Amino acid sequence: MTLSKLSLRNAKRQAGDYLVYFFTIVMVAALIYAFNGLIFSVEVQSLSKQMAQVPMMIVLASIVVVCIISWLVSYTTNFMLTRRSREFGLYVLIGLENRQVARLFFWENLIVGGCALVLGIFLGNFLFQVLRAIIFTLFGTPYYFSFFFSVKAIGLTLIYFVLIYLFAQLKSLRRIRRMKIYDLIYFDRQNEDAVIKTSSRRRKIFAASIIIGVLGTFLLMTDGMLFGIIGAGCIIVFLYGFFLSFASGVPAFFDKYPARKYQNRNLLVFRMLTSKLAAMGIIMATIALLFTACIISEGTGMIFRSILQNRAKPNSCFDLILSANDEKEETFKVCQNYILKNISVKDSRQYNIYLSDNDDMTDFVSSNTGYYRVYEYDPVMGKSDYDALRDMLGYPPVTLKEGQYLIHCQPYVEKVLKNWNQVISFGGEEFTLKEICTEDFAQHLYENSGNGFGFIVVVPDKVAEVCPISHVMYTVLTKEQVSEEQYNTLEQLLYNEWEHNGYDNTVFHSKAKEEADVAVMTAMMVFPLFYLALVLTMTAAVILTIQQLSETNHYKRQFELLRKLGMERREMSQALRNQFFIYYAMPAIPPVLIGVPFIVNLAGLVEPGIMVGGSHPAVIAGISLGLFFLIFGVYILLAYTSLKRNVLPD
Amino acid sequence: MLQVKNIEKYYGSKNHVTKALDRVSFDVADGEFIAIMGASGSGKTTLLNCISTIDTVSSGDILLDRESIAELPAEELARFRREKLGFVFQDFNLLDTLTIEENIGLALSLNHDNPQSVKKKVDEVAQKLGISDVLSKFPYQVSGGQKQRAACGRAMVAGQSLLLADEPTGALDSKSSKNLLEIMTQMNKEMGATILMVTHDAYSASYARRVLFLKDGRIFNELLRGERGRAVFYHEILDVLALLGGDISDVI
Repeated sequence: MTLSKLSLRNAKRQAGDYLVYFFTIVMVAALIYAFNGLIFSVEVQSLSKQMAQVPMMIVLASIVVVCIISWLVSYTTNFMLTRRSREFGLYVLIGLENRQVARLFFWENLIVGGCALVLGIFLGNFLFQVLRAIIFTLFGTPYYFSFFFSVKAIGLTLIYFVLIYLFAQLKSLRRIRRMKIYDLIYFDRQNEDAVIKTSSRRRKIFAASIIIGVLGTFLLMTDGMLFGIIGAGCIIVFLYGFFLSFASGVPAFFDKYPARKYQNRNLLVFRMLTSKLAAMGIIMATIALLFTACIISEGTGMIFRSILQNRAKPNSCFDLILSANDEKEETFKVCQNYILKNISVKDSRQYNIYLSDNDDMTDFVSSNTGYYRVYEYDPVMGKSDYDALRDMLGYPPVTLKEGQYLIHCQPYVEKVLKNWNQVISFGGEEFTLKEICTEDFAQHLYENSGNGFGFIVVVPDKVAEVCPISHVMYTVLTKEQVSEEQYNTLEQLLYNEWEHNGYDNTVFHSKAKEEADVAVMTAMMVFPLFYLALVLTMTAAVILTIQQLSETNHYKRQFELLRKLGMERREMSQALRNQFFIYYAMPAIPPVLIGVPFIVNLAGLVEPGIMVGGSHPAVIAGISLGLFFLIFGVYILLAYTSLKRNVLPD
Repeated sequence: MLQVKNIEKYYGSKNHVTKALDRVSFDVADGEFIAIMGASGSGKTTLLNCISTIDTVSSGDILLDRESIAELPAEELARFRREKLGFVFQDFNLLDTLTIEENIGLALSLNHDNPQSVKKKVDEVAQKLGISDVLSKFPYQVSGGQKQRAACGRAMVAGQSLLLADEPTGALDSKSSKNLLEIMTQMNKEMGATILMVTHDAYSASYARRVLFLKDGRIFNELLRGERGRAVFYHEILDVLALLGGDISDVI
């Protein structure tokens, strides 16, 4: 039997433990390939000129992914080396050179990596179709399934993989070459020692790390780059301090309270865990760090998406909105001519937005919500303009009697204005509130350019017309979507006019452009963040799982003995479950405690009216955790079923 | 206390049956110290496994305190093992993630003993076995003899009535063996522990009060020590072994 066959056979015997690792590498290869696909797909790139910025973000995310996966491969390779060191020691003992053994191990890993890459590229094609479908839907463009094959995408994926494996393999190669037979044979015998030994120091580190952790979480939530960086540093210090002192602190706790140790199944669960934790303090901290980054990435990604989407939505009732701080009738003449000539218009209207002589309502709203103040005085609109716009948008008509006014606002303002019961006065005449309407009404445009910001007061024409004009609006509903080219031309026309005549503050808004922006930003920011989050969760979960599965034989012997000693199967299964639960929960609890407040706080910084409904901070935090635990759960379930099947006696 | 009645044990498939135990019968009285001897493959461990309910018999019956263990359901069997039986194995079989103290305390913990009293009971047993100073150590940090004494501690700490030992001195040097056997004798005499020890070592067997010889799954002979000294008994055992013939040459 040749050595390579022998080695293959040995590798096969241990393959079960590493199957989950192999699949993770396949999934990572698939992800890398799918995202590379986005970079090189002409079809995706041609959706918008702005898509040209997407590749850079993907490459940046991929570089982080390559670093993380290098670490994973290096860690796993080293772990496998530890577990197979005796086998390699034997090869050296029977006369092989270290160099040859190293080469053997190198090829073995390279073949595994190669297989993962091929499978991953195949799978990545499907994943690419999913990403493509999402992007096309975001752009509102129809899509069809087509087989995607890009030599460039494969090439880039290959380069990433070579980098990943080069780093990991060179490290282990060097290690094997330098090892002596004794080291190889007794490599797995090294005792696991607690990192921090004296208990007083451990207690101090534990307490300090908790304080630093709380401080770090608060710093992360404050404004300012510097505080954020210090906060992130604190979190890192906290996680390492916590896991190093905690792992060695548990035995100390039970030494102090021996009765607790012998209660129920505590003894077994605690010892199964501490033997792992003591050796895994640093790894646990790293995993917790990855989890924290993952939850924050997911949450941030979703917040970004909500901001983009929900900021665009209130304004998306009109296809085009032009506004200018001017009082002349012909303000939009040039643009209107272009629109009428080049775009098929369904309906359009030009009208004025006025300002009241006081800011009572603005004051009231801003003192009761996080309202962002845009107008100096309360914005006002004439009833006939309002009626025409409602008719244009297909909203049911509203009536206004003598001495009445109404408010049109965004839903979040309505909650506050329900308590508004003041009579308002215009030119000495008093008006009472008739009703509040909350349909989408272009009320989320900055720089006095929309139908008010958040709200507008609607009064009879004769009352409005005597008020000073804030700005002129021209809103359009088109029959077809306004193209990127048309948008650019219109913008240029408006700009030229402004340049010539000194118009102050012209704003131009297009629904199609806004949607394209959302799509591009999603592809640019949200996709890479989720890409990272996915890789982070998988990496951390697979390390935890490999650690568990590699102990299969050890657990098996232990439960066999316990059976002989008279432990019932039900109890064994319970002990295994408890151990599992604590083992997997340990590195997940600090990230949840850090990540959730961070997400909720970040979402709270956004102006009101955006993070509502499905984008409510609590919902976003919930979904981020849900996504995280979904992927994590798959690994836990895999490890648990495999271990339960193989470990518990029949 | 223990009655083994006509038990038989077969292994293998339809076409190839191996008879490991062949109509074995004997009684063990309360407080007895019995050794079972025989060559490799004579059925010693199978017999011990059947008594310890780890394995089941093909026919026959085993009664412990007049209770047939063959009829007990799985849960009762587990309870029976942890309450009445104590085990000492050749390879110690201590959990290497637990300290010596915890390994002994494990038996009490499995029995749902009051957690407050575990430490005290473990300390008492450790005192008797002379391993008090290694209680906080892990199995890989102590010697073979200490490990085996810890196993004895685990086998008796919960007040188990029958101690089953499978080649307890098999992995020990002669000094540690002697030490362990003296401790077992002491457990038998002073604490009234009933001990059933399987061994192929005549020296170990000479510490027992009675020796059963097993050959090809059958009881071949029985020796009672009576009032004789251990050295005399040892020679008698050697004589019987000589009678057992060629295939037992690995014994002694």
